[in-house]
Formats: sequence, structure tokens, C-alpha cells
Amino acid sequence: MNLRRTLSVTRKTLRGLKHDKRTVGFLVLMPLFLIALFGYTFGGSVKDVPIIVVNLDQGSPNGSVASAIISELETRETLKIVETLGPGDPSSEDHAIDKVSKGEVWVAIVFPEHFTEDVMAAIDNLRNGLSVIPSIIQFHVDATNPNIEQSVYTELQGSVQKVLVGTYHLIPPIAIIEERVYGEGAEFIDFFAPGVMGLAAMMVTFMLSIISFVHERTTGTLDRLLSTPVTEGEIVAGYALAFGLVGLVQSIVILLTAVVLFQIQIVGSGLLVLLIIFLLGVGNQGLGFLLSSNAKNEFQAVQFMPIILFPSILLAGVFWPIEAVPGFLRPISYFVPLTYAVDGTRSVMIRGWGVEHVWIQLTILVAFAVAMMLLSTYSLKKRR
Amino acid sequence: MGVAVEDLGSNTEPLAIDAKGLRKEFEGRPAVSDIDLRIPKGVLYGLIGPNGSGKTTTIKMLVGLLTATAGTASILSERVPLKKKLPKIGYMPQEMAIYTDLTVHENLELFAGLYSIERSVFEKRETELLAMIDLAERKDSMVSKLSGGMRHRVSLACALLHEPEVVFLDEPTVGVDPELRVGFWDYFMKLKAQGRTIMLTTHYMDEAVRCDLVGMMRMGKLIAEGTPEELMASVSASNLEDAFLHYSKGAVP
Repeated sequence: MNLRRTLSVTRKTLRGLKHDKRTVGFLVLMPLFLIALFGYTFGGSVKDVPIIVVNLDQGSPNGSVASAIISELETRETLKIVETLGPGDPSSEDHAIDKVSKGEVWVAIVFPEHFTEDVMAAIDNLRNGLSVIPSIIQFHVDATNPNIEQSVYTELQGSVQKVLVGTYHLIPPIAIIEERVYGEGAEFIDFFAPGVMGLAAMMVTFMLSIISFVHERTTGTLDRLLSTPVTEGEIVAGYALAFGLVGLVQSIVILLTAVVLFQIQIVGSGLLVLLIIFLLGVGNQGLGFLLSSNAKNEFQAVQFMPIILFPSILLAGVFWPIEAVPGFLRPISYFVPLTYAVDGTRSVMIRGWGVEHVWIQLTILVAFAVAMMLLSTYSLKKRR
Repeated sequence: MGVAVEDLGSNTEPLAIDAKGLRKEFEGRPAVSDIDLRIPKGVLYGLIGPNGSGKTTTIKMLVGLLTATAGTASILSERVPLKKKLPKIGYMPQEMAIYTDLTVHENLELFAGLYSIERSVFEKRETELLAMIDLAERKDSMVSKLSGGMRHRVSLACALLHEPEVVFLDEPTVGVDPELRVGFWDYFMKLKAQGRTIMLTTHYMDEAVRCDLVGMMRMGKLIAEGTPEELMASVSASNLEDAFLHYSKGAVP
């Protein structure tokens, strides 16, 4: 392996990119666009979900428990109470359900007539050690979006808890105390920023590589390179270095964007994150290289992209965990190198793991990169 | 065939190109059949023949881009595919085969790197070659902005940058205007005078006449070989074109 020859290939590849301003723009802006778009759409928690509240509770001389819960609900950012219907109107519940049916609100929460009375009776029974009949709150929900249903439900439950504990000093018999081992303060964006980073790097290195090599083959430049003292291995290594670096630059753009726009946390080593992405980039450019020998022109090369990209996007745990992938598809997940890159970067960034914990992911990615480079070299030798 | 080889260069001098029974089949179909070549150093050898007659395949086997189905070849006494002598050969493919997304200078610099040419030597060679191909002012132009003829000239410069001893030029003058073609040939003659061996393919008979030796190819076979004068004289033809047609008839199975 001659370093100068290898670097000559690297330099000519990067120079070619440099002259193509639009591609440079694409390489830098695409990941930026991707992370900003995903960050703003998925990143925030659910907010201002329109709901309607029907309060039929007649209360007691000491006030109304329902009103207390409603006041609490009003303070929640997740919810936006568009209308509160008062007691004395028997048709108000139908009206509220109608609003849910029409899609105007997601949830109608109905407090029944004797709600406060029932709650008080239950509290008395509880204090006297008698059995308790639970009080009922009706929850009419449009559950087409489980995410929203879950958020509203959690808020209602939280409000009920808070009122009972705060106002009536009822201590629930069981308390679950959550203590986060990892991911203290982690939001959804922290979960998928590593995924988007890996995805962008793999997409671009694969794409650049397959197109570049089809071009090298069809224009005769590859033949010409091979008639010089440069070896197949040096060509492969030169390209791997060039596109690995492109992948790195992209990851840095994504990391910076995510930190500046969304204040994501990077608990572990940023360098380790970049190493993982570099390995992924090198491996994927090798894959592009290999597949390019099966494409006669650029158009055929483009046809490989969905075949490679979709399993990675859907099965590698970029947007949802692998645990959410159906069992019969999961073996494919374990075959997709992106899976390990995403898992590795995520563990480093959120859990703060070091090499001693992500060595399995690193080993698999190194093996992937080395295997792809060896196969690429072999495929070049074979074509003589 | 091949009567004149002994007249050129001495017999003791090792051959620049030595091929025996070279054969290439693509999916069972022969593209080149049993070609023998003995080309002494310092010779300008022209391969002529219609498209698809096997000229390019022959050259690709000699530079090691294709593995021969049968037969052997040596260049500068080393068996093909070359290792040690690889830096001593130059190859200009038929396709432009230069990077259109780089400038002229960057293309040349790439090849300087691949041949491990020192910086100072490269700068001198670059100036010299750019003057020869008349593109000194376009040094920093993108190749994609150059005309076809200009690209061809850049391609030639890339093949000659490292001062190879044996040069393979596949149709070096296609699309080059007549004036510049004269310049190219002056340069080929200069290379020859330096003792370098050139093997080129051409469609122009006026170019073939200027070669020391001409090999006529048809349907993958070398149907005649010799100096242009001999090839014409032995069939009483007044020009090479007629001579070629004559040999072609004889070669039809």
C-alpha cells in the first residue's frame, strides 16, 4: 500500500466534489434540513391538544372536586380546553361526544353529577377501612393517534393524583418512584438525532460511491487508473478515505445543528461518535462500490438505492426501537449495519458509554468496513 | 508476415513488446485470436483495421487490463500483467478517460501522484506537455468546459506525463484538428527519437504510412504485418488502403 498513490485518489475524489458546488451544498444542507425537519416535527412533545370538558358535578358545600381537577387540567401545556360545559344541561354530554366525532376535539372528559359526593364517600370509606366504590370520570377519546391518547390520559391521571394528594391528603397506597439510570432529561430528539446522523451518513456515502464508480467504469477512467502503478487496494482505500471524510463532515453538521437548535445532549465522547460514523461511511461506500459493478449506467445504479435504503430507514431503529420491529423482520434488522451504528452512537451520546461498552458495535462496523473493502478490491481484480 | 522485424533494431536488443498466441474470448466468442507480436524497442507500430477488429482488446491485454484467454505477452522482458515495469508503460484509452469534474492541472497532478513523480519534475513536465497540446492557458479550466479535441489532448498528456518507455495510444488523433494532428505526430517522432516504443491504433491511412511497422487486423486476426512499403509492394498496391482491402479478401475464410 503506497500512501501517496492512495491519497492521490482521495484528493482527486474530494477535488471533484469541491468543483461541484451544488453537490457540496447538498452534502452540507441535506443533513441540516433532515435534522431540522425531524427535530421540529417529532422533537417536541405533544402540545395544545384540543379537548372539551363537561362538568355535571353538583359539588358539595366545600366545593367541587371536578372543578379542582379542571383547574389543574387548565395549567397543563399538553392540553387546550376549548370549551367547558356546565351542569344543568343534560344534552351537554351528547354535544361533547359529537365534537369528538366531528374531529373538532380529541377528547371529551365528562365528570358525572354526583362526582364530588362519590369522591367524598370513597374518602370516608377509605379512612374508616371500608371497601371503596371508585368514582367515575368518562373519557370519550378519538384514539386514532395513540400518541395523543396517551398524552391526554397521562395528563388527566396526573391532575387527578395531584388534586387528591394536594387537597385531600390522600396518599395512594403504592408509589412508583422513577429514577432514570440513563437519559435524564432526554427528549425524543435525543433518541433520534443519532439515528438521523447515521442515516444521513450511510445514505450519502452509498449514493456518492455507487454513482462515482458507475461513472468511473463507463467513462473508462477506472481502466486508466488500473493501467497505472496504483493498485486495486489503493483505489478502494483512497475512495473509502474520501467518502468516509464526507460522512464525518455531515455528522459534524448534524451534531452542531442538533446541539444549537434542539439542545441535544452528548453525554459520551464526541470523537467516539464520529469514529462510529466514519466506519459506517467507509463500509457503505464499499457496498456502493460493490453494487456499482452490477449497474451498467447511473440509472441502474439509482435502482439499488431503495433496496438498500428502506430496510435501513425502517428496520435499523432510527425512528423507533428495534423492539418495535415485528419478530419475523428482526433478523433483517440485525443484518443491517446501520442498526449497530445507530445503537452505538445512541449509547455513547445518551448513556455516555465508552469503548468498553460499545466494542461489539465497533467490532461489527470494523468487520463490515473491512469486508466491504476487501470484496471491492477483489471485484476490481476479478474484472481483468 | 512479419518479414521486416529483423530489419529494425538489432536482434540482440530485447523486444519492447513480445506476444505469443495472444487470444481473448468474451463469452466463448473470440475477440482476438492467436496474435503474435515482436516489436523491438524504439519502433512506432501502427495497428489498423475496422472497428471491432480487436485492436483495443489487444492493447488492453498488453497493458494488463484484460487477462488473455490464451497465450502470453511480455513488455520490456517482464511478463504481463506487469508489476516492476508498470511505471514504464503509458496508456491512453480510446474513451477520453479523464476526469471531467477536475481541471486540466488537477488531472495531470493525479497522474503525477499515481506515478510518484516528484513535484519539481512534475512542474517541468506539465509545462512542456501543456505547450505540446497547446493548452497552457487552459491549465485551470474544468475539463467539462473543454471541447472534445481538447479533452483528447489532455488525455494524451496524462499518458505521457511519466515519460514511459513503451506507450500504447488507442486512437490518439481522433477528433483532433489537422493542424494539431501534425503537432502530435511531431511529438510522436520526438518520443521515438528518444528511443521510446509506441504502439498506436489509427483509422487514418496517412498516419499508418508514417509508422515503422503496421499490423493489419480484421475480425480478431492479424492478417498482415510489415513496413508500409512492404505491405504495399507485396500486393502491388499504390496505397495502404488498397493493400488492406487486398489482404482482407485473402483473409476471408
